[in-house]
Amino acid sequence: MNSYLKYFLKKFGWYLLTLVVAITLNFFLPRMIKGNPVSVIVSAMSQGMSDVNAQKKLYESYMHQFGLDKPLFQQYLIYFQNILHGDFGVSFGNYPRRVSNILASAIPWTLGLQIPAILIGWLLGNLLGAFTAYKKGVFDKIIFPAALFVNSMPFFALSIIMLYVFGLHLKWFPIGGGYGYQMIPNLSLSFIGSVLQHHFLPFISIVLVAIGGQAIGMRSMSIYELNSDYVLYAKLMGIRDSRVVRYVFRNAVLPQVTGLALSIGTMISGALITEIVFNYPGIGTWLFTAIRTLDFPLISGCTLMITLAVLAANFTIEIIYGLIDPRVKATQMEGQ
Amino acid sequence: MGQTILTVSELKTFYRTRLKENVHAVDGVSFTLEEGKILGIAGESGCGKSTLALSVMGFYFPPLNFKSGSIVIDGIDIMKLSREDLRTKVLGEEIAYIPQSAMNALNPTKRVGKFIEDILREHRPGLSQEQMQRLAAERFEILNLPTRALTAYPNELSGGMKQRVVIATSTILNPKVLIADEPTSALDVSSQKIAIKLLKSLLAKGFVKSMLFITHELPLLKHVADDVMIMYAGQIVERGRIDEVIFKPMHPYAQALMGSIIVPESDIRGHRLSSIPGAPPNLKNEMKGCRFADRCIHTVDECRKEEIPERARGERTIRCLFDFDYQSEETAHERR
Repeated sequence: MNSYLKYFLKKFGWYLLTLVVAITLNFFLPRMIKGNPVSVIVSAMSQGMSDVNAQKKLYESYMHQFGLDKPLFQQYLIYFQNILHGDFGVSFGNYPRRVSNILASAIPWTLGLQIPAILIGWLLGNLLGAFTAYKKGVFDKIIFPAALFVNSMPFFALSIIMLYVFGLHLKWFPIGGGYGYQMIPNLSLSFIGSVLQHHFLPFISIVLVAIGGQAIGMRSMSIYELNSDYVLYAKLMGIRDSRVVRYVFRNAVLPQVTGLALSIGTMISGALITEIVFNYPGIGTWLFTAIRTLDFPLISGCTLMITLAVLAANFTIEIIYGLIDPRVKATQMEGQ
Repeated sequence: MGQTILTVSELKTFYRTRLKENVHAVDGVSFTLEEGKILGIAGESGCGKSTLALSVMGFYFPPLNFKSGSIVIDGIDIMKLSREDLRTKVLGEEIAYIPQSAMNALNPTKRVGKFIEDILREHRPGLSQEQMQRLAAERFEILNLPTRALTAYPNELSGGMKQRVVIATSTILNPKVLIADEPTSALDVSSQKIAIKLLKSLLAKGFVKSMLFITHELPLLKHVADDVMIMYAGQIVERGRIDEVIFKPMHPYAQALMGSIIVPESDIRGHRLSSIPGAPPNLKNEMKGCRFADRCIHTVDECRKEEIPERARGERTIRCLFDFDYQSEETAHERR
């Protein structure tokens, strides 16, 4: 068999194992939080109810409904089985809404916010880094320290500052949500406009943080590559600068691809916090609500989605890396 | 006497450091190179050999700067050409370079053949891709290099093969002058021999007309060069026929240099290797008089008074006021 395919399958197996471990943790960790979600629901529903038996009955029926009366390990097996069938259960907090239904409504918002922001931030950051390395001067003295400053700021701090300055103070952008409150999602121009307006601030705060981190890495990589022997040799063989810069970019960007793989987890979790700050209708905000109401199925559903996203992103990058760097591909195949 | 190919006169170049100091790395070097000849340049590390190699290319980029002098190839002073003309018509075409560390001279993410195509694209814009590939393959065949190297990435080649590939790549356009900067210093002895055979065959087959061979390994130079120049602190201190300079050096520096090298002759047993006390002078300072004065065992006041001109002594040229004859190491030690 093709050794590269072998490598691919082996990697895939490892990722699958990671996923199983993650699903297990996703199940047990929320359930270790102190408190019982059913008593929260029952106490809310039974306000004014004086019959203790009726209250007990209500409690038991919910416990049974949610499957919480069974031993924990059995619950786990049922949970795992259901997940294989694509069933994430019923949300406790939004009963009787199904978790899969909530996730389906939230995922497009999260993907629409995060994928463009992370990719654009990564690309702009790398271009900026390469540019500062190549041009030096003003870029290196002003823009680079600025990038460094923005990068060292936590996601939520930057989001809150943006929210305060541009949302609350200058009132240029709405301060939260995915679209205007009074609107019903449809494909009209006014709705799309409202979505874009609400999209801007969270988008920019993710992009800015991403740019900073990538620019710093790319700058030092590019400086290193610019001083390498193959650059000198290519120049002295009469190869034009624009082509030499392309050589440099390609080589300098390789570790940045790994950097993207490493940071994609942090980026996604950071972006989730951005969602919470802007009350954006994505996974992050739902996860936040779910944790507050001990909505186990919803917590597990959200964290499973995040796990899947991080694993998929890492796997993709690993495969791409082998394709763009012949040296990495060689090592990948040697391992077989 | 063959036809003169390259005439370098009073070439002065300097490095501009980040602290805005000027380091006069090549300080008034003149020489000529004739058709069919290999001229060696030797000296200890930091004496300006590699800078001279780069300077003779005529294509300067920071921190190396041109100060004065001329570089004439086949009647054309390349320092009078525009940078663009220099890049497209001289580099690789008239004068080509083999970098000091051929190990890293090739772009790791570019197939060897693709890099050669890039070079040809700059200098032979009319060629189709197929023609370029054929040209590269033919040249590799003539030079007994495997054509599979053309489709390989540099990391798939051995060190010796990389070096030979670089040599073939540098000379793909049949340059008149080939500057080889320590082309064998990172190789084992047998690879060295193959590389040198390759360089000589290029000259024999007429792919290059003359060669400048820079090395710190004098014993090696004996098998390669016709003439040799000994460099010290950016100047030529002695020049002459290779066997004469190596076995009977006249300049005190050349004598000290030869005394510090094992020449495998019959009576080597019992010889004690000497080293040259002190270090080369700091080239940032303007210097008066002989640059070797601080380390020379013969220094008198006159040595430091004014610039020492080169003068002929027999068939050789030396930059020293006195006529010293070479003594064996033992006698030199006794004098001290």
